[in-house]
Amino acid sequence: MAMILEAKGLSYAYPGGVTALSGLDLGVQRGKRLAILGPNGAGKTTLLQHLNGTLKPSAGTVHLDGTIMGHGRTELAAWRRRVGLVLQEPDDQLFAPTVFEDVSFGPLNLGLSEAEARQRVIEALNSLRIADLAERPTHMLSFGQKKRAAIAGAVAMRPDVLLLDEPTAGLDQFGAVHLLAVLEKLQAGGATLVFTTHDVDLAWAWADDIALFDAGQVARQGRPEEVLADAEALSRARLKPPFLLELGLKARQRGWLGADQPLPRNRSDAMALLDGI
Amino acid sequence: MIACDRLAHTSRWRTRPLAEKALLSLGLLALAVTLPPAGGALVLGVALTAALAAGTPPLALLRLIAAPMAFILTGALTLLVEIGADGIHLSATGATQAAALVLRALAAVVSLLLLAVTTPASELVQGLRRLGLSAEVAEVALATYRFLFVLQDTAAAIHATQTARLGTTGWRRRIRSTGMLVATLLPRALDRAHRLEVGLAARGFDGSLRTISPTRPAQGRRLALVAVLLVSVGVTGAWL
Repeated sequence: MAMILEAKGLSYAYPGGVTALSGLDLGVQRGKRLAILGPNGAGKTTLLQHLNGTLKPSAGTVHLDGTIMGHGRTELAAWRRRVGLVLQEPDDQLFAPTVFEDVSFGPLNLGLSEAEARQRVIEALNSLRIADLAERPTHMLSFGQKKRAAIAGAVAMRPDVLLLDEPTAGLDQFGAVHLLAVLEKLQAGGATLVFTTHDVDLAWAWADDIALFDAGQVARQGRPEEVLADAEALSRARLKPPFLLELGLKARQRGWLGADQPLPRNRSDAMALLDGI
Repeated sequence: MIACDRLAHTSRWRTRPLAEKALLSLGLLALAVTLPPAGGALVLGVALTAALAAGTPPLALLRLIAAPMAFILTGALTLLVEIGADGIHLSATGATQAAALVLRALAAVVSLLLLAVTTPASELVQGLRRLGLSAEVAEVALATYRFLFVLQDTAAAIHATQTARLGTTGWRRRIRSTGMLVATLLPRALDRAHRLEVGLAARGFDGSLRTISPTRPAQGRRLALVAVLLVSVGVTGAWL
């Protein structure tokens, strides 16, 4: 499988000396949705910030399309042009007086003309379905609206890879479902998505590929049904297998679900399974 | 300031070109300062009418006027008395002078508020930028503007949690809690600033905060209308 982004042997310690990453390896497959799964405080954000060059590892390398990425000024610019980052807290990202102005920041930094940048902003606002918020001041938005505005700011740069730190954290159910639908559309347009989460159910429902993050390393990476069924590895990372996966495995054990049939990954899959019994 | 910002963002004149609003407000301000007291009353009337026409709630406007009004009244009070060789006594002309001062100052305050309650501070800075304010100063001003709201939210949250844990009952505790709030706010602000830097860097920050600001070109016809209004207020005010 073609890797668009790869981390090899990454090590990093916080200024206080606490180890965050110790020889971490990670591969991001092109066009897929990768979940970096781990408990709170495991260093997922730190890992994400290595993937766009915000943090520089003490050892190890990050490869973009097979090329080792450097941390020089021009190299970083090229890196960030292709790899976008959305922080967990949208207030850390929004700085301009209005949504439109804020979203225009990235495209202008790409060196686009004002007309092109304007076009990009309009597209990004439409794809996040917040065109009606364009003229609103960023400090008068709800949390969910701020979150979408922050994502639009990254999307307007049309990155090949979009890194999202806990994208659904703080959103209500409707907001989360809506956001995931928007992200799916971006993926359909060719973007690769990497997101951190501590939510095993979200990882099971939504990820194509899962990297289980524990003690500064990727303990296991692979398809969701493999990684998330590994109760032992999950428990070492203070996590439990997702409920629907357990349900599906139980149904297979009882013979209600064939070994070749897919396991339920969302509510309607589970309902269909129950109806079939 | 926060109240002003909210009014400005919800104002009916929010999307009117800055040049029109600035001409009207600053023109009225100039008239308030130069016209005789009776003219001041006219200016006050026009400025109030304009502010209400822009959709400013009367009560909110009154609250904004209250603070500067306290200063104006204190100043006017001193005009009422005279200190002579025989001690302090009421001034013969003091009452008229005090009334004139209050009227003129009030007219000036409302004229300037007219701009403040119809135009967000960020747009004023962008307007100054077009008039030649350096990009660096404008960026610092805009970042400060943005940060004020983030910090205000943080301060409000800290204050709420202090209150919930009885940190603000009794003046001794209140002083202690306020001290802790201020002490917490600085490192929080620095931390925020650092994270904002990470967020900006991810979008290709290279030292300048360029964005596409909405352009609202002023219409010559409307500017002329404002000018005609100002001239007629000026002429009537001088004649009164």
